[in-house]
Amino acid sequence: MATSEFSDKKFLIVDDFADMRSVLRNILRSMEVVQIDLASNGQEAISRLEKRRYDVILCDYNLGEGRDGQQILEEARHRQLIGIDTIFIMITAENTRDMVMAAVEHTPDTYLTKPFTRELLQTRLNKLFGQKANLSAINRHLLAKDYTAAITEMDALIAKAPKNVSELLKLEAEICLSANRYDDAMAIYQDVLSERDVRWARLGIGKVLFYTKQYAQAEENFTNLLALDNNLLEAYDYLARTQMALGRFQDAEKTLTTAVRISPRGFKRQCFLADVALTNGNTELAEVAYTHASSIGRHSIHNHPSIMGGLAKSLTANGKHPEALKVAGQIQTTFPTHHEAIFYEAAVTAVIKTNQGERAAADEALKIAEQAMGESGIALSSTLGLEMVKTYSQLGAHDKAKRILEKTIANNHDDEDFLTEVKQVCHTAGIAEDGIRTIREIQQEIVKTNNAGVQLIKQGQFDAAIHLLEQAADDMPGNKTVNLNAAKALIMKMEKLGPTAAEVQQVRGFVERVQRVAPDDWRLSDVVSHLQKLANKV
Amino acid sequence: MAMDFPDMLASSIHDIKNSLSLISNTLSDLTTNADNHFADSRQVNLLQHEVLRVNNNLVHLLTLYKLGNNGLMIDIRAHNVEELLEEVVASNQAVCTALGIDLRYQCDPTLSGYFDFELMRSVIESSIGNAQRYARKQILLTANHEDNYLVIRIEDDGTGFPAALLELPKESEYAISIMQFSGRTRLGLLFAYKIAQLHHVNDRTGHIQLRNRRTLPGGCFELWLP
Repeated sequence: MATSEFSDKKFLIVDDFADMRSVLRNILRSMEVVQIDLASNGQEAISRLEKRRYDVILCDYNLGEGRDGQQILEEARHRQLIGIDTIFIMITAENTRDMVMAAVEHTPDTYLTKPFTRELLQTRLNKLFGQKANLSAINRHLLAKDYTAAITEMDALIAKAPKNVSELLKLEAEICLSANRYDDAMAIYQDVLSERDVRWARLGIGKVLFYTKQYAQAEENFTNLLALDNNLLEAYDYLARTQMALGRFQDAEKTLTTAVRISPRGFKRQCFLADVALTNGNTELAEVAYTHASSIGRHSIHNHPSIMGGLAKSLTANGKHPEALKVAGQIQTTFPTHHEAIFYEAAVTAVIKTNQGERAAADEALKIAEQAMGESGIALSSTLGLEMVKTYSQLGAHDKAKRILEKTIANNHDDEDFLTEVKQVCHTAGIAEDGIRTIREIQQEIVKTNNAGVQLIKQGQFDAAIHLLEQAADDMPGNKTVNLNAAKALIMKMEKLGPTAAEVQQVRGFVERVQRVAPDDWRLSDVVSHLQKLANKV
Repeated sequence: MAMDFPDMLASSIHDIKNSLSLISNTLSDLTTNADNHFADSRQVNLLQHEVLRVNNNLVHLLTLYKLGNNGLMIDIRAHNVEELLEEVVASNQAVCTALGIDLRYQCDPTLSGYFDFELMRSVIESSIGNAQRYARKQILLTANHEDNYLVIRIEDDGTGFPAALLELPKESEYAISIMQFSGRTRLGLLFAYKIAQLHHVNDRTGHIQLRNRRTLPGGCFELWLP
């Protein structure tokens, strides 16, 4: 048997059980692998990954205390400690579906169930190296967020009718979703469904319906799917988001409660449930969910000061002020380098102190929060903005709350998830109608400016258009669409009349703003590549 | 904090699986090391075979438990069939070689079917485990499209299934009849039957079929998947 094909590859084995590590090492040695490193826990694994680039990582899911295998994978991908060509194999004790279906963003390249033989590992590795080589170009385009190129490449690959064609179609549809090419995604899903009723394609149709705001149909889709398979976690997540968008916040909370019961280890879902419950005023459920979330989050790269902030808020809402203060006091020590930690600590402390009737202490904390907000550029962040709105409301500072709210909406007028949250806050505060009206007015104002800009460009009045859109972008530095439009207007002018260094620099400024608030925006790569071409000509 | 049964089960499974991995891989190190001499090498091979059986039984038990508690997550989608057969053959090759059995598959490389990959692997592996006990020299896996079904067959050149097993009633009474049998095949058959049944499209449902003397002289286990 040809084993030498792996002999030059670097392997990392992660297992908390010493005997298992040597079993795995022996298997690899019998395949003539020589570069093998070992790690016995998450901490060791991460520090290994920081020092060396591996080709293959064999990682046990269950590692006792500390990070689990999934959290190692998430951190490694998030911090780019592993490259796109690295093969990550998750080793599990039992059938892996619970973890696969946990709807995590980062899935390993494959799962292996213990016990497995040397021959099986070898077969699997051969297959994975082949697949990685095939997908290499596509992965590189995805890393650069060049979705158009990734899709073109994928079409070419699928045309060769490879063995894993169904997997590739699923991947292509997901890329289409990221690229906002909903019609293309829909076509793939329908095509697959015309052959056979498969879950991922049905789920995909639901996602397209959700993203194209056909919420009633989306809800029907997800509900039907769950009637067929009540363990389909991703369907719960999307159903909850759909119910939120429909303004049925209590229903969303129920949906998430069910999903969390099926899979309690999903960090993002626990956070989602906690946030929804807290804003719904269901503070006891929120406390439970935040407690779970902070305990899972301890070892997660996705952990965030807002989780402990939320826990402290639900504790004080439940009358447990000393416990709340204790949690608040730990935020900065838990997140010593996080630039938003001080904000969350101060904001929640203001609320707790208010609840305790200590007005002066509350005002003092509020001042710290306001200062931190200014420093971390709250005007740009929808989450921080909304957090401040909630804090002001709880302190009874309604005018300030209103002002920040309007500013934050203006910066995020087309961010559906954020607007849904605003509506939920207004709904619970009993001012649902006001909230919806405010959102609509701000949206109309922005659309009007936009249309006027487009009209001016059509008439060839570039400078007037640019002036208008620039002003809007400077008023709303966190608004990705407005900033992208200002950039586009400048690009169109330069493409027609020739580029100038000053204008190229201006476009860069708008692009940087968008990269800061929405680095994953599907429109960015197109604007950047146009800009690149113009910059080369200057 | 008190643990409930599923928690205890999950943590025991983790331990048991670690032990099985150790036993299995240590045995294979023992047999592949030329310095070791065994008076009867068949004894070691039988141990290997039994480890796989313990594992198969454990997987059956756990899967049936989850199925009974509505906790089994199934994921039926299109797969290349050769990749499945290639993997199960790879998994069982060492034990078969040690037992002097020739294990191979025949399958059109472009053949695809709709099934849950992990569950199907368990069904086929346990069927191979069963065939290992009866085969003299040969186990053959084949896959074809027949009558709008994907048919996967595991054949051996042993003495074949006993008549009573061949006459099992169809469909609804199947589970009850299987449980009336004693012996080692019972849980495996029930498992295969239940997993096959989870695969259905409109009016067509997956099922299993036992027969003798198809292309090889012994037993033939058939999986029919719509």
